[in-house]
Amino acid sequence: MKVMMNMLAEKVEQMMEWSSRRSMIRMNGDKFRRFVKAPPRNYSVIVMFTALQPQRQCSVCRQANEEYQVLANSWRYSSAFSNKLFFTVVDYDEGADVFQQLNMNSAPTFMHFPAKGKPKRADTFDLQRIGFASEQLAKWIADRTDVQIRVFRPPNYSGTIALALLVSLVGGLLYLRRNNLEFIYNKTGWAMAALCVVFAMTSGQMWNHIRGPPYAHKNPQNGQVSYIHGSSQAQFVAESHIILLLNAAITMGMVLLNEAATSKGEVGKRRIICLVGLGLVVFFFSFLLSIFRSKYHGYPYSFLIK
Amino acid sequence: MHGQELHLDNFKGDFLNIFIFLHPQIPDIQIVPAGWQSLLSFTILFLAWLAGFSSRLFAVIRFESIIHEFDPWFNYRSTHHLTTNGFYEFLNWFDERAWYPLGRIVGGTVYPGLMMTAGLIHYILNLLHVTVHIRDVCVFLAPVFSGLTAISTFLLTRELWNQGAGLLAACFIAIVPGYISRSVAGSFDNEGIAIFALQFTYYLWVKSVKTGSVFWAIGCCLSYFYMVSAWGGYVFIINLIPLHVFVLLLMQRFSRRLYIAYSTFYIVGLVLSMQIPFVGFQPIRTSEHMAAAGVFALLQAYAFLQYLKDRLTRQEFQTLFFLGVSLAAGGVFLTVIYLTYTGEFLFATFNTKPSLPPMLRYAKIHIPIIASVSEHQPTTWVSFFFDLHILVCTFPAGLWFCIKNINDERVFVALYAISAVYFAGVMVRLMLTLTPVVCMLSAIAFSSVFEHYLGDDMKRENPGSVKQHPFYPVKNISVYSKPIVTMLMLMLLMMFAVHCTWVTSNAYSSPSVVLASYNHDGSRNILDDFREAYYWLRQNTDEHARVMSWWDYGYQIAGMANRTTLVDNNTWNNSHIALVGKAMSSNESAAYEIMKSLDVDYVLIIFGGVIGYSGDDINKFLWMVRIAEGEHPKDIRESDYFTPQGEFRVDKAGSPTLLNCLMYKMSYYRFGEMQLDFRTPPGFDRTRNAEIGNKDIRLKHLEEAFTSEHWLVRIYRVKKQENRQALDHKFRNIAAKQKFTSKKVLPSRFH
Repeated sequence: MKVMMNMLAEKVEQMMEWSSRRSMIRMNGDKFRRFVKAPPRNYSVIVMFTALQPQRQCSVCRQANEEYQVLANSWRYSSAFSNKLFFTVVDYDEGADVFQQLNMNSAPTFMHFPAKGKPKRADTFDLQRIGFASEQLAKWIADRTDVQIRVFRPPNYSGTIALALLVSLVGGLLYLRRNNLEFIYNKTGWAMAALCVVFAMTSGQMWNHIRGPPYAHKNPQNGQVSYIHGSSQAQFVAESHIILLLNAAITMGMVLLNEAATSKGEVGKRRIICLVGLGLVVFFFSFLLSIFRSKYHGYPYSFLIK
Repeated sequence: MHGQELHLDNFKGDFLNIFIFLHPQIPDIQIVPAGWQSLLSFTILFLAWLAGFSSRLFAVIRFESIIHEFDPWFNYRSTHHLTTNGFYEFLNWFDERAWYPLGRIVGGTVYPGLMMTAGLIHYILNLLHVTVHIRDVCVFLAPVFSGLTAISTFLLTRELWNQGAGLLAACFIAIVPGYISRSVAGSFDNEGIAIFALQFTYYLWVKSVKTGSVFWAIGCCLSYFYMVSAWGGYVFIINLIPLHVFVLLLMQRFSRRLYIAYSTFYIVGLVLSMQIPFVGFQPIRTSEHMAAAGVFALLQAYAFLQYLKDRLTRQEFQTLFFLGVSLAAGGVFLTVIYLTYTGEFLFATFNTKPSLPPMLRYAKIHIPIIASVSEHQPTTWVSFFFDLHILVCTFPAGLWFCIKNINDERVFVALYAISAVYFAGVMVRLMLTLTPVVCMLSAIAFSSVFEHYLGDDMKRENPGSVKQHPFYPVKNISVYSKPIVTMLMLMLLMMFAVHCTWVTSNAYSSPSVVLASYNHDGSRNILDDFREAYYWLRQNTDEHARVMSWWDYGYQIAGMANRTTLVDNNTWNNSHIALVGKAMSSNESAAYEIMKSLDVDYVLIIFGGVIGYSGDDINKFLWMVRIAEGEHPKDIRESDYFTPQGEFRVDKAGSPTLLNCLMYKMSYYRFGEMQLDFRTPPGFDRTRNAEIGNKDIRLKHLEEAFTSEHWLVRIYRVKKQENRQALDHKFRNIAAKQKFTSKKVLPSRFH
């Protein structure tokens, strides 16, 4: 009994020392068995099984690692920090045997090893459904161990810096050209800027921004790449770019038609402009309509192109 | 005097405008008398009204004159209350039939414009002895107002460009699906009249900026007042108009006309908007309205500086300017600090209904009930195309023409377009505010093309000064290309009209209270289960019975069945909704405790497994769980309702918690005995294409009260508690061995 107590105290001391050095304790197979699996324990351990080596090409692991780091740091520097909970990480390339032992075939995985007893089903974090945001992880940990961690994210200055840079750039440009501010009154520039906003919105860039769809879809069976999403409820990034171009082409066609009628050039040149404009409007609109038709099943109308 | 200068100012501005506006018609005017032109305009507007009205009648013709969906039922019920009990009774209405046991103060929590409008029309018609039911007034209100919207769009576009573009814009807005989606007959909702108010306010604003007369500005305020009384989207106006003024100041287009228009609008509009009980003191307290106040102060300061500039030397002016600016900045800074400190000024208002995206982001993460409403999603390009068709590709061209030929009011339409397209991109439901401006700008694009290609060449040979104008077609481009261009453009517009009709007929004309299914031969089956069940409730239950259901059906139960509900579509109390969600997702005995504490008599659920209706409660069930988990994380866990593989299934593989929760039991009670056709086993759910996992469902505390014809609505009665069971009667045997003396003493006053 005494020996056990000693062993436990020794283990806790060792863990505390590691975690005082780094918020996440890296483990190999031996360490994992000794400090996490072996029985005399009075602390909970959260383990992230991951594969961070560049040759593994696991981009999700890296994102998950960042979130996990945020969480571990929040715990490490919080006032409630104690020896009841430790954050550890097992990399596949350092402890492949652990992965085999636990029958684990996907990374990243988060597991909780409670102070007493074996891990249950709920001790494996449901990554697929909840995602790996630190807040969700903290909620899960609070649920499993009753330790409340307030996630403290290091403030993100990149947005502020980018804005400041932009403002100073514009300001500098204005200052440099202070003698010739004619370009501010350039209507074409302003019209272009307005049209850019309009095209970005009508082609669903805001949807992309909020939902984060893939760029395009590659069929794993035959390697065919589809740029257009089959359903009308969703879209790919590439698809929204195509739509943006089509919308812009149709608008340009309308402007050219107007231009052909109003410009003072020679008749032949204007006739060509007129035909180009008309072609842009008619062809690209029918193309747009056919894309829409392919996405919106049961839509009966088409124009020129099926 | 100032009047003189004002007049000159006016004249200069308008001279140019008049020139730009009218010159395309100058040759026409010489030949066609003005009377013909107004007759033609009148006819076109009348036809647009007629077309807009009749294309909104699909639902009435296919079904009947009936109120649609959910929110309209509440509006109808309040209008009914207004017409039967009078205006003051309506303003003070405390509805004890909603949110049992809390109740709801209706008069102070609605925008009354819609009910007032319908009530007024009903009153006038009855005064003229046209005795129509208030329901018919409500059903046909939105189609009638769509005609008024077309007219106000015509007026606004005429101010911005010319008469021809105005007529095209009126035709576009009359039939465009983006607007029809909220204004079909029977959809008795705020948006139906609000878009008219929005467009009319903008028209009057542009008019008052152009003329600088207090008359038009007051008109604008009254229209704004109507808009505030009708819809929460008035915030869009009170931010767009100040933005317009601000940008005009930046462009150094300050004029006395602008000063008069905005000062009048701000002061009178502010006072008027505060008269609506629901708005109250918000216009001077919340950050959404602060831009208007800031621009007002800025405009006063700018005008004052202009005044000083005329009277002081340059040196004096500069000193005064810097002194004034630093004093003003300090003053504003201190005031804001003081107000924030005392909590008077709310910096961020995280209210859920309006439309600002940061709030949306916040709400999306933190409150599941916001995320659960599909209208609050961002917009894909397909939705844009679906609702606007060719207009979405051509309106940037109109925007281009407007910016290239900029003037005061075209600044307004450009800002309107950019802000509205941004908001429409963020949230699908704000497509509604984008639609009018898209119609106007597309009309400008098409009309300028038609102007150049449809005109007769022979007449343009007339010599005259107009020939020098850049718009004027110098010489015919080609004898052949003109008709080709015209024909193809007309064809595109024809396709637009066909598309609009198809979309209206297929996507936006379902009342969702009555469903229809089509057979292979094209004949139609009407599924009237909702009304059947609500009518059963109305006829067979106690007048004060309390019905528990998910919040989607609260307004319908109150409107059609006239029974007390626990939660409804006015989702103001999240914890109350979470309690209902918890009852639905707990097991039967736990749910019974909740239902007892809420005095529930009946439970109503929607079940689509028999006919394959996908909008039923099992499909919405995860939202109930999520909302319940948000408030009761110890009792309800979302993960318990999934299989270990993370799937949501109702068959044998489903999680036991799901298979035993109240919602599952009520949905599938006795469903296991039902064989729908010979290819599938009994208890086969057509919506989820699965054989249910728990066929032997017994209910202990509930009993089935009613199931509609296609099982779409099922109603259960909550059993009353039984009398306490009589204990086994045993004779007391009293051990009277020792004498018993009471230790109590009599109170002293009896001595």
